[in-house]
Formats: sequence, structure tokens, C-alpha cells
Amino acid sequence: MRSLVRAGWSAFAISVRLKVVSPWAYLNWLVFPMLFAAVGLYVLSRPGASGSHLVYGILGGGLIGYWSVAYIDGGNGIQDERWNGTLEQLFGTPTPLWVIILGKVCGALLFGLISFVPTAALAYFGFHAVMPSLDPARFVISLAVLTFSFFCIAQALTPLFALWRWAFSMINGFELGVYVLCGFMFPIAILVPWLQGVAGALAPTWAVRALYASTTAEGAHDFVAWWLYAIALSLVFLIGGYFLYALVEREARVSGQLALA
Amino acid sequence: MASPAIEARQLRKTYKSTRGVFRREKVERVALRGIDLKIERGELFGLLGPNGAGKTTMVKIFTTLLLPTSGSALVLGLDAVKDQWALRRRMGFVFGGDRGLYWRLSGLDNLRYFADLYRVPPEISRKRIPELLERLGLKGRERDRVELYSRGMKQRLHLARGLLNDPDVLFLDEPTIGLDPVGARELRNIVRELADAGKTIFLTTHYMFEADAVCDRIAVIRDGGIVAEGTPDSIKNLVKDQGVVEFEVVGMPADSIAGLRTLPGVSSVAVEDRELAQLVTVQCSRPGDVITHLSTVLDGVPLTKVSSREPTLEDAYVQLIGESS
Repeated sequence: MRSLVRAGWSAFAISVRLKVVSPWAYLNWLVFPMLFAAVGLYVLSRPGASGSHLVYGILGGGLIGYWSVAYIDGGNGIQDERWNGTLEQLFGTPTPLWVIILGKVCGALLFGLISFVPTAALAYFGFHAVMPSLDPARFVISLAVLTFSFFCIAQALTPLFALWRWAFSMINGFELGVYVLCGFMFPIAILVPWLQGVAGALAPTWAVRALYASTTAEGAHDFVAWWLYAIALSLVFLIGGYFLYALVEREARVSGQLALA
Repeated sequence: MASPAIEARQLRKTYKSTRGVFRREKVERVALRGIDLKIERGELFGLLGPNGAGKTTMVKIFTTLLLPTSGSALVLGLDAVKDQWALRRRMGFVFGGDRGLYWRLSGLDNLRYFADLYRVPPEISRKRIPELLERLGLKGRERDRVELYSRGMKQRLHLARGLLNDPDVLFLDEPTIGLDPVGARELRNIVRELADAGKTIFLTTHYMFEADAVCDRIAVIRDGGIVAEGTPDSIKNLVKDQGVVEFEVVGMPADSIAGLRTLPGVSSVAVEDRELAQLVTVQCSRPGDVITHLSTVLDGVPLTKVSSREPTLEDAYVQLIGESS
């Protein structure tokens, strides 16, 4: 058991180190979130815009960066391993793939959290924007629940990229879909009802809702219910992921698709 | 009695895929056709064959990366299909080529990471990694990024990684591919030392001299089936009653090649293009007769550097591959 924990920790440490030395990682955690935050803050700080919506500009860019690094880097990380020729090497070790991916996803989550720093700084120093009524305890719990939901989705979906090379081509669609459906940069109340239904099936929707609610005193808030919805939906992903790993462990050995050639 | 280090029984592998865009068609490609093989502990075994013969497929099955379609693959008595977790702790594998390493990290970081993934206890890996770096000539460069390593150094790093868990069995898939002659010779020496130290080594290559130089026993694979198996000398004996005539010509006409093939005792003719000339290799039972008839068959084509020699493992290989194709 200790050797498994050490293997997972090592995967985490290598994931962080590879991000530090990779110029592409900076796009996801720094450049893109800053761009989204700048546009959002500009639009939401114009005269006539609702003051309470400015918080979507403050946190939205960071959320996009967080999600991108957690999810895209998870998938892209596996594709990188394939291109490097290391995916087979990892698979051939006595450490189960889920442990390695768990370490990599945790590394991505840590890196993704950093996205909030430049976007919050841009909001404060560039637009003098502050959160209207921050409830720190609920904010932290909501962020923790959001982190758990990102972790479960990334942990469950990342093995798909190991198994099916074509899954990588779907990555952008799912990434952008979650931006919109989960209300990263605007309230999902503006979506058509059936899309709101789809959004309700995604764990981050509830965590993001709680996160934004913790920054404003407006409206009725049911934090506990939202956190529980998010956790329950995340667990569904995690349970699905359990079966997915068993499938990947077997199918990768049948098809031999871990190598690039 | 100890079980063989490596054993295959009626090992088959068929790859299934699809082709076509609108009308999908299922395609099956047979990579291994019922291989039977037994390798004893401590042996350095070479698997020879052309590209696409099934060498890498066989290595990947033994190293638990692929499942066979049928038959069984046993390594150290463990089933490569069912006992993959136990087996991965006791064997190592090295694939040839530049890839398979984290280029942006140092050699030391690569080794430390894989030592943890191989679940080597830290107190052991702290000693073993410096030993491997020393033994494989990487000491002093271990903190450099891998992207700064020469190809030979990368290949030695691959080998170091394959030895992190001190495996009983080591699989080497074309480990010297792309290396310069000095680097390839160094690597072969290391491989020989490992075998002398008691490790079982399964080496695939298409360099005949490499197999001849280091292997205790070899098998030749063609189209997924083994066509010959034995010591390098016993394989060479397959062509012992043959000789080889080699000569260089400038502009060898096709009918002259056909003419050579009709000479008595000629079993094969291979033509290799050189910069300005062609090197022709004729395997035959009576080299003297062939040399006598050369000027007649070539009919005025300029001829240089005629020589006759004993057959090598490569000649035996060419004959085996030619016979079975």
C-alpha cells in the first residue's frame, strides 16, 4: 500500500514538474483565463450592467483556467505520454493506471487553482472589482466541492484518452460545453429550460452555483443541497470511472493502442 | 525442477481493425501463428526477423502489454495474461528508439519516477540508481535534461530504467537500432555482462552479427511463425555446405541476374545498390564454378572485387527468410 501511495505521489510531482517546464501549460492556466477574465470584466463593468454579475468576471476566468488545466491537461497529458512513447512504459509498470492518473489529475488541479491568482489580481487592480458580500467559509467549502467534482470528472474521463485516440478530438467540445452549461461566466438561468436540465446533471453546475452564491447576499441560497447534489453527481462519475478503468486495462491490451504507431 | 524462464505454447495473436469511411470493413491481420518456444533461465536468446514478422508483438505479449488471441505465454512460471501485476515486478523491458523518456526532465528524475512506479523501496532505489548510472556510463550527466543526451546515452538510460527493479528476465526490443557502431558495441557488451550475471535476456534484432556475437540461442521468425531455432552455429550449419561469392559490378542487367540464378548449385542471388556500383551476393554450393562462369554470364559488364567466403549467420537468415516467403 505504501508503495502505491509513493507511486501516486511521484506521478503528482512529475505532473507538476512537467507543467512548470512546458510552455503550453502556461496558456491554459495563465493566458486563456486572463483573456476570458478581461473580456468578462470589461463587459460586466460597463454602465448598465448588474453590479452583482461582476463577480462572474472576477471568478469566471479563473474557473475556466481551473477546468481547462484539470480536464484538458488530464486528456492532453495522456496524449503527450503517447507521443513521448511513455504511455506503454507507464502501463507496463506494476502500478495500476488509475493510481498514475490520480497523481497526474491532482497535479493538474493544484496547477489549475493558480489560475485564480492572476484573474483575481486583474479584477482588483485592472477593474477595481471586488466580491460584494463574501462568505469565506461557504466560499472555501464550495471551492472544495468544485475541486472534488473536477477531480471525479477528470479521473473518470482521462482513461478514455488512453484507450481511444479519437476521444482526444472530442476534448474541446466537452471543455467548452462545460464552460457554458455549468455557468462559469454567466448564470445558467439565462439558458433555455432544456439546457438548464442538462446542466443540472453536471456536478460542477451545483458547485459553481454555490461558489457564486457565497460571494453575494442576493437571492435564496440552499448551500447544503447544492453541495450534496454536486458530491452525489461526482460520485456517479467516480463509480463509472471504476468500471472504465477495468475496461481500459483490458481493451488496451487487446488492441495494443497505447503505442503511437 | 525450475520452470523455464520464458515459455510460449501455441501463441497466436490476431489484430482486428476496420477500414473505409462510409462502408466500414473489418480487417484481421495475423501477427503470430501458433508459436511454441522455451527459453531456459540465464539464457541470452535472440529473436531474428524482418520488419512486421511478429517480433515486437511477441515481446509485448510476454511483457503483459498485449493479450494473445489464444495460447499461453509464461514468464518465470507466471501467466502473462492473468498474473500481470506479479510479473511486472519481476521483469523489465526496453524498447529501441529515442522515445519513451521524459525529455524535459533529467535522467535522474526519469529513473526516480520509474523506480517509484516499479514500486522499488526507496532505501533500495537510493543505492541502485547511482549503481546503474555508474555501470551504464551515465554518471556525471544524470542531472542533465534527457533532450541533451546523445542517442546512445538515451538508449543506456532506457536500459537503466529496465533494470530498476533488478528483473530476473529482461526483454530488449531492437535495443541498438539507430546507434552508431561504438554505441551499439558498448550496449552489446553490457547486455552480455547482464546475461553472464545470470539474467535471462530476450533480445529481438534484425542485425545478424549482433545475434551471432551475443546470443546463446536464436530463433528466426517470419510471417508470425518460427522457421528455425538453435545456437548461432547450428543455424549457420543450415548453409554449411554452401559458399558465398561476392562481387561488385557497375550496371548489372536484369538478364545477367537471371543468368546467375540458373548456374548449377546457386541457391540465392541478392543485389545491393552501392553509391556507384552494385554488390552482388551469390549463395551456392560450388563457389569455384560460379567464379569460373562469371565472365560468361556478365558478358562484358565491368566486374571488380570478386571474393569467396564462408557463409555467415546472415546468409543462413537470408536463405531461411527466402525459403519461407
